[in-house]
Amino acid sequence: MALLSPTRTAARTPTGRGAVLATRLTTRTGSTPGRLTVLMLAVAALAIAAGLAAVIGLAHRSSEVDSIITRSGPLTLDAQELYRSLSDADAIAASAFLSNGQEPAALRQRYESDIAAASAALTDATAGDPGQRAVQEIAAQLPVYTGLVETARTYNRQNLPVGAAYLREASALMRNDLLVAAERLYDAETARFESSVGAASGFPWLAAGLAVLTLAGLGYAQVYLTRRTNRLLNLGLVGATAMGLAALIWLGASWLGVRGELHGAQRDGSDQIQLLAQARIDALQARADEALTLVARGNGASFDTDYGTMLTDLIGKDGDGGLLHRAAAGATDPAVRAAVNAGTGAAKSWKSTHQRVHGADAAGDYSAAVELTIGDSPTSAANTFNKLDKDLATGIAATSAQLDAHARSAAGALTAAPIGLAALTLLLLVGVVTGFQQRLAEYR
Amino acid sequence: MRRKLLAAAAVSVLALVAGCTSTTGPHAAAAPAFRAPVPAGVTDPAQVPSAAAAADNSCDALASLRPKGPLPTPGHMPAGTPMAAIFQRGHLTVGVDQNTYLFGYRDAVSGQVVGFDIDIAKLIAKAIFGDDSPKVVKLVAITSAQRIPFIQNGTVDIVSDSMTINCERKQQVQFSTDYFDAGQKILVNKGSPYHTIDDLAGKKVCSAAGTTSIINIATRPSHPIPVSVNDWTDCLVMLQQGQVQAVSTDDSILAGLAAQDPTVEVVGPRFTDEPHGLAIKKSSTPFVEFVNGVLDRARADGTWARLYDKWLGGPAPAPPAAKYSD
Repeated sequence: MALLSPTRTAARTPTGRGAVLATRLTTRTGSTPGRLTVLMLAVAALAIAAGLAAVIGLAHRSSEVDSIITRSGPLTLDAQELYRSLSDADAIAASAFLSNGQEPAALRQRYESDIAAASAALTDATAGDPGQRAVQEIAAQLPVYTGLVETARTYNRQNLPVGAAYLREASALMRNDLLVAAERLYDAETARFESSVGAASGFPWLAAGLAVLTLAGLGYAQVYLTRRTNRLLNLGLVGATAMGLAALIWLGASWLGVRGELHGAQRDGSDQIQLLAQARIDALQARADEALTLVARGNGASFDTDYGTMLTDLIGKDGDGGLLHRAAAGATDPAVRAAVNAGTGAAKSWKSTHQRVHGADAAGDYSAAVELTIGDSPTSAANTFNKLDKDLATGIAATSAQLDAHARSAAGALTAAPIGLAALTLLLLVGVVTGFQQRLAEYR
Repeated sequence: MRRKLLAAAAVSVLALVAGCTSTTGPHAAAAPAFRAPVPAGVTDPAQVPSAAAAADNSCDALASLRPKGPLPTPGHMPAGTPMAAIFQRGHLTVGVDQNTYLFGYRDAVSGQVVGFDIDIAKLIAKAIFGDDSPKVVKLVAITSAQRIPFIQNGTVDIVSDSMTINCERKQQVQFSTDYFDAGQKILVNKGSPYHTIDDLAGKKVCSAAGTTSIINIATRPSHPIPVSVNDWTDCLVMLQQGQVQAVSTDDSILAGLAAQDPTVEVVGPRFTDEPHGLAIKKSSTPFVEFVNGVLDRARADGTWARLYDKWLGGPAPAPPAAKYSD
């Protein structure tokens, strides 16, 4: 058994002062009691360092998990809600414009609640990081957007075609500036969430390394004492070793528990939320494209092309691929899978209705195209889109609940650990001091 | 002593004033600036199509094909003609603008596209079907730039969209006789210092992409900066938002924009002549002759004047005279 000399053991502790002290003591006192004292101090110093590293590491980990539950998780959802409400406002404003002159009260209310939701989500996002340029940009441009929509509405009520031009300008502002900024915000919040998960599930190298060194020190001390005194067991040191092992196991178990829960939060939660959120955003943009194709008539080709891109992104070219397919394949919760499958059905039926809208518009049958787009029939684009949006919202709510449950279990796994590890460290120190004092007393 | 006090007071007041003015500067500059909204599809400065083509005077642009005999009875189109094919199909497909107020625009109350150009197209449908209801007239909204390709690929049978007859376009499509005489003018804010296109040297002037108007702006000796958009109404938005100093195109279109905003006006002399014709596929010679017959009848029986009064306000001038190549 190759053992470290006490001096070298001491020199490896991160506490430089302890190392210096140990060196001084060994050189001054070449005697056995002197060596024993040095050994005791070195082991105690290691144990204290290990305990501190473990407790501080756990506190840090715990605060990262808390930040997932209270900040980065909700902020990611807020950023997603901000994007959704802005995109929905764009789609609804365009749909409302298709109704002749007087827009339906229900669409007006939905537009207004979208703007209110966007403002509320923006206020929450400001709590995350108010200095972000994306937040400032949305705060600055949202009133400009609503101003343009109101101008469009006023002109439309007077039956003047410049109203449609204002609506197109509003939509361009929404798509080219506001939604781009909201996407940046969402990406930033997602990155923050991922980094919290990474920080909270990292292996506690420092604490574990120090704990192993403490155990090695204890082992050496016991071998040394056995050789010097011919007594096989020192109860104090044996107890201390047991405490050290227990602490190391607890540390490892808490790490595994938190890591498992956080990986579960990613697998059952955030990974799927990202897919579903992207799907919902694509669906909203496609809905706005559909309405704008008819508002912009003549200049609608680019909107129609964009609609096609969005739907391919959603359900693939043949209806059995894309984001929804991936979300269904990756869903771990049957409720989520059912919601996604229902959404896929709605998206397919929407796509086929849209082809009829496109056909009617291309043939110059504008009224039929509008009726198919915003009408009340069960297969109208409005109804199939609303169904898809609702299914995706259900899926997102269910996965959010999964994420939250996992994150809370992770937090639960951490509550007792700091107290337990601190207590074990104290008991270990008591064992070390008792064990060494017993021997030192024999020299007096 | 007293004088000194007064002087000191005066100095401190001055310092205060100076302090106030200097502190407002940096504070105002602290707010981050974001891009002002612009219409979708704006190009500033505009991509101007070849000016040489527009100035092409190699042909007699206004000369069209003379109708062969009287118009056939509605519902009885001569066999083998494009009109017979249209009758068989059951509807006439017309390429129109839905953003040109008074000429072709969507009525927000009825949801239908209406205007002078639309009513002219309906005359053609009435002569084919004896009917001009939406059932037989399919109005397809297109942009200025889509007019020629849509005629060439058969997406539409005819374009009725304030389209200027010129030699370059005549190489790609056929035109009916001149059914409306317009000329390019400018639209500015009331009380602006700009009275003609030549006052706009170095200023931004808006027009729709793919039109003769944008070439006319770019080739003016005063060198205004042409800015192109997708639709005429986008130009009005830019003028209202102060992003351009003027809009320039046919006075008929400008009148439609001016009718939507009492604070703008059409000013200056016409600096171009813009005769409007209906565009038809190059190979559809019998259809061109038929359309010219319909237009001749509308000029003669007062229908043209009635439509002018209805959309543009009377008294109607004499309709533009038909000119034929033979």
